[in-house]
Amino acid sequence: MTKTFTQDDIIRFIYDETDQQEKREIESALLCDGDLLDTYRKYLEIKQKLDLDLSVPPQRVIDKILNYSKSYNLHPIGK
Amino acid sequence: MNRSRLSDSDLLSQYKEGNEEAFEDLLSRHKSKVFTTIQLIVKDTYIAEDLLQETFIKVINTIKSGRYNEEGKFLPWVLRIAHNLAIDYFRRCKRYPVVVLEDGNKVFNTIEFAEDSIETLQIRKDISAGLKELVQELPEAQKEVLIMRHYMEMSFQEIADATEVSINTALGRMRYALINLRKKMKQKNIAYDQNLYPR
Repeated sequence: MTKTFTQDDIIRFIYDETDQQEKREIESALLCDGDLLDTYRKYLEIKQKLDLDLSVPPQRVIDKILNYSKSYNLHPIGK
Repeated sequence: MNRSRLSDSDLLSQYKEGNEEAFEDLLSRHKSKVFTTIQLIVKDTYIAEDLLQETFIKVINTIKSGRYNEEGKFLPWVLRIAHNLAIDYFRRCKRYPVVVLEDGNKVFNTIEFAEDSIETLQIRKDISAGLKELVQELPEAQKEVLIMRHYMEMSFQEIADATEVSINTALGRMRYALINLRKKMKQKNIAYDQNLYPR
């Protein structure tokens, strides 16, 4: 018999917070439960969109950080 | 060697041995996630740039002085530093009164960044449009859980502990955050890319 899963279970599954056993059970349930599959897709869509919508910091800021790292050995701080 | 396949831990080991390119790779790998997280907290791009720099200076100081503890993962550690700096920033702002100069500019013109008025959100045009803007519109408790879980990669249990709620409440807030974001996306007609998410 297939176990019933909640929306919160699906969110934990998407964020990789289920153990191996529960992960396998959810994967099996997704194969035979259309509603659960829709729920999974709905949350996955948002998660993937959030992953794609990241801001890139300007190169001048990155260069300052890299220069600081390179100069650290010349002028160590906090040692 | 294909450096992109190296784990954070491998790159950190190389960096500790003096390989600056390894740090460049680490920074390149994680800069956007750290920057976006800070931006979502402080809601100002220029302050986010300063705090990003401060965050990585702390990271460099800690690693190069041999004080980095490798028990945890690299990115969540960096994000915790960034989060603490953002919170410190708000505390610093709230400690000082707003002083308005003759030209109308405020000496400490950042205290209002902590507030979530619609007007403030509307004039923060330097935050890129899109989903991040919709995240800012979420109720505070939902936004907090979303930032902690999605961007800071804290577990739901860690979030529950940090916010002093049950794990079910943390999960419920995350669920509502995701549902509300989806609704807002539909209302604002943010395109659903069929190629990225094939049905």
